[in-house]
Amino acid sequence: MYGNYIKLALRNMAKNRLYAFINVVGLAIGLSVFLFGMVLASYERDHDSMFSQRDRIFTAGAKFSDAAEIGVLETNSIYTAMGPLLQEELGEDSLVARTVTREFLLTVGSSNDSYYHTVTFADPEFSELFDFTYLSGDNSALADPLGLVISESTALKYFGRADVTGETLTLDHEHDLVIKAVIEDIPSDSHFNSNLLTERDARLFAALDTLADIRDFNIDEDWGNLSMGDMTYMLLPEGRTQQWLYDQVNAVYQRHSPEGQIEFIPEVKVRPLTEDNTMIWDAIGIPAITSVQLLGLLVLIIACVNYTNLATAQSLGRAREVGLRKTFGASKGQLLLQFLVESLTTAALSMLLALACLELIVPLFNAWSSKVLTINYLDIFPFLIATTTIVGIAAGAYPAYMITRAAPIDSLHNSMLRGNKGGLFRSFMIGVQFTISVFMLASVMVMYFQNKQVEQSANIFPKDNVIVLERVGVDAIKARHETLRNQLMNLPGVEAMTYLSQVPFNQSNSASGVALEPGDEASEILMNRIRVDEGFLETLNIPLLKGRALTRDIAGDVMEAESEVVNVLLNQTGARSLGFDDPLDAVGQSFFEILGEQSRAEGLTATQFIVVGLLPDQNFLGLHNKIKPTAFMIQPPWLNNAAIRISGDNMVQTITEVERVWDEVIADYPIQQRFLDDVFNEIFIVYETMNRVVAGFALIALSLALIGLFGLAAFMAQRRTREIGIRKVLGARVDQIARLLVWQFSIPVLWSLSVAMPLAYAASGLYLNFFDERITMLPLIISGAALGALVTAWLIVSVHAVRIAMSSPIGALRYE
Amino acid sequence: MLKLNNLSKFYRTDEVETVALNAVNIDIEQGEFVAIMGPSGCGKSTLLNVIGMLDQPSEGDYFFMDENVASYGEQKLSQIRKQNIGFIFQNFNLIDELSVAENIELALLYHDISAKERRQRVEHIMDKVGIAHRAKHRPSQLSGGQQQRVAVARAVVGDQSLILADEPTGNLDSVHGQEVMEMLQSLNNEGTTIVMVTHSAAHADYARRTINLFDGYVVTQSMRAAS
Repeated sequence: MYGNYIKLALRNMAKNRLYAFINVVGLAIGLSVFLFGMVLASYERDHDSMFSQRDRIFTAGAKFSDAAEIGVLETNSIYTAMGPLLQEELGEDSLVARTVTREFLLTVGSSNDSYYHTVTFADPEFSELFDFTYLSGDNSALADPLGLVISESTALKYFGRADVTGETLTLDHEHDLVIKAVIEDIPSDSHFNSNLLTERDARLFAALDTLADIRDFNIDEDWGNLSMGDMTYMLLPEGRTQQWLYDQVNAVYQRHSPEGQIEFIPEVKVRPLTEDNTMIWDAIGIPAITSVQLLGLLVLIIACVNYTNLATAQSLGRAREVGLRKTFGASKGQLLLQFLVESLTTAALSMLLALACLELIVPLFNAWSSKVLTINYLDIFPFLIATTTIVGIAAGAYPAYMITRAAPIDSLHNSMLRGNKGGLFRSFMIGVQFTISVFMLASVMVMYFQNKQVEQSANIFPKDNVIVLERVGVDAIKARHETLRNQLMNLPGVEAMTYLSQVPFNQSNSASGVALEPGDEASEILMNRIRVDEGFLETLNIPLLKGRALTRDIAGDVMEAESEVVNVLLNQTGARSLGFDDPLDAVGQSFFEILGEQSRAEGLTATQFIVVGLLPDQNFLGLHNKIKPTAFMIQPPWLNNAAIRISGDNMVQTITEVERVWDEVIADYPIQQRFLDDVFNEIFIVYETMNRVVAGFALIALSLALIGLFGLAAFMAQRRTREIGIRKVLGARVDQIARLLVWQFSIPVLWSLSVAMPLAYAASGLYLNFFDERITMLPLIISGAALGALVTAWLIVSVHAVRIAMSSPIGALRYE
Repeated sequence: MLKLNNLSKFYRTDEVETVALNAVNIDIEQGEFVAIMGPSGCGKSTLLNVIGMLDQPSEGDYFFMDENVASYGEQKLSQIRKQNIGFIFQNFNLIDELSVAENIELALLYHDISAKERRQRVEHIMDKVGIAHRAKHRPSQLSGGQQQRVAVARAVVGDQSLILADEPTGNLDSVHGQEVMEMLQSLNNEGTTIVMVTHSAAHADYARRTINLFDGYVVTQSMRAAS
């Protein structure tokens, strides 16, 4: 019986090849996208399975309040001072390990080969939490303050071999560390390696105490630094819950955090280790992984609707077959089953095709993304079967019901071919498809225009002409800043140059409390500080609204450790925040640092800042950050970067010259340079990728909807052949007939727009909220997307409408 | 009113050429009532389609109101057709989704007539054919005779001077058949030219002239004495 049904199903597909093709391919595309979304999401959410204690490891991260105005909602790091306090609170059954990553210049052995490399400094407990596979040495390596743990590939990179235990690596030409253990490379699907912004596949671990020694600061007392990626791991004691851990962690935080801290960081989030890989999306408030799954599901729904619509339309043509079967005694249930077997067969074929597609897509995606997605068929087999069944039934239920409920005599007379049975349902389905497609299309366009806006506003800085030199803040290099500057400025292609603490688009906040009057805590505001050097305005093309630029020639312009008065530049927001209604009035005025309790106790004097120049509001922190009150000052110890503006001519030659000068002046450190444009792109590419991904989904969704519309329009046109014939005989023109057919499809498309547009408007907010500077013409963009979908739908339907309208009416009228 | 001059119509398939009309010469005057008879497949319907400009002749001339329309394109034919010709079919060819009144109105929809006037004319013609009480019904709710009356109403509502009827009584019982024939006759009496294909000799008797077709040839033309 079932074999017979399946045979029948396959024969029917062979008979109606176009529709079978549209059905199978449409469903296969929908399934591919849906499955890929699922595979990707489960990959992203199932990291770190190589560590045996994964499910007991939790991380602590600060959650920011709105008052923090930091641009992200949370981070995955917490103050290192929390570490020992947590260990004490959680007790012996737990383990707490902190990691801090810093970049250093590494010198290999006794050679002169130097490379910049990120080193992860970790507590000794770290080795107990994560069971790496040791090729040599063991997990006691981090207990040695001078010990290093190196990954196999890193060893191969620097030494050309893996057995490097006992070899020395020197940090910043000063600190010799000895390799105590070599570990197997950590797989890609670990949070150690899968970072959104950087590739971190080569690993080097050292003891956290070593960093404290090198950088000379007390890690256990640090309540100041939060850098994403500096982790605090905690092992959950047996028998305890995540909630318990959360309570303990926050109790510690509430008890020990410095005064005022709670205002900006109201709580510490505790996450299972598996969530660390995806927390970045929570941090920026864009649920990317869930979105990918949702988009995949929406595409699948569109594909199912396609099948339902086409099958409903097509099954009407099979009314005679159904009538005959009923006449010969087939029960409604049997017929229902027959049609469901057909849709299930289609779904199964589509699933096979979809899996074949996945086998092609996944390797391509892996190569492109350096992820290692795998499809474990054994694991997902039940899921695949369930999906196929649900899709088959969901898509086939309505057509099966439609066709089998008619009385046999009606079926035999083919009267079902007339009339508009199921018309409302089909309209509704088309509406659903277009709601989804237009929603996606509008979202894509909003993202696109927002990204364009971000890109455009970034152009206030000459990012294509500015070379950034990084890591020039090491003492050994700082001593040669003047020489380097003089020599670089002598190069013909170099137009301007400055040292600075951070270049535009660097997401770094360094702020302190200030007020117009000394000690006026009531009117204290947070003022960001950006340390610059002379040539700063010129290099970055920043106009001066009033006053003068800073120069090293005036003693008051340079802030030394003992300076009590220093001249600064202020942006407009800074002036307004201080209370100047007209920012220009701030020039010549002073404001004062508000000292913390501890500084007051130590008898420090509050620094006085004199505003000597006013700068326009520019988004120095880049992209999504609010423009904050910012003071620019010359403070030599902070100048870790250099920016060089070069002329557009002979850029390659100028860059070569810059490198030559660097090598002459600073031979012992390799040059670390890139264009300001690359700094911008480092983050911008994330937005662009998001836009492309959604665009891909939207494109597939819209294509499917249009293919469905095309197929359905063909059917409807065929079904209305007689009516069209009558109208033509009565004198209707081709364009009048065509308009009639197009209008039939316009109604559902039009109402779907009225649903999709508000939805898109709401969803766009999710994305736009992330940015401070947002596009304003949102309704226009969304309407544009809607109009685009409408016109495309019209074009598709017109193809049939015109063809049918132009055919001779005679045949149509004899149709019986 | 219309004149067919050596008019032929062939249908070509891959190998076979079928002659549907073979050098037909027919002249029909304004106000005539002509019946076309003949066995199945003799070319009756083809002739009607050509006259109705739904189909174009392969050879020969077709003068409609002294205009040779044989080589006219679809657009022009459509224009002439909707001004002058009304159609009645054996299977009524009403649109099921539209009500009786809307079906009739359809014939005016493609003319340049205001909605108000359309409504008036539809009401008037419905009264005339006695279908007004069914105005809001769907065709499927009517008897065959009533459906054909709607079709007749639709054929003449635009003041068409020529009505082409393709076996208008073929699907009707004798009582309803006669009703429709009487309606056609009264239209003819008011001056409408009628060309009707029929199998029924009795119904052919309503016509003043009968044209007999056989295998695409006009075999005989007989006139009935005026009664």
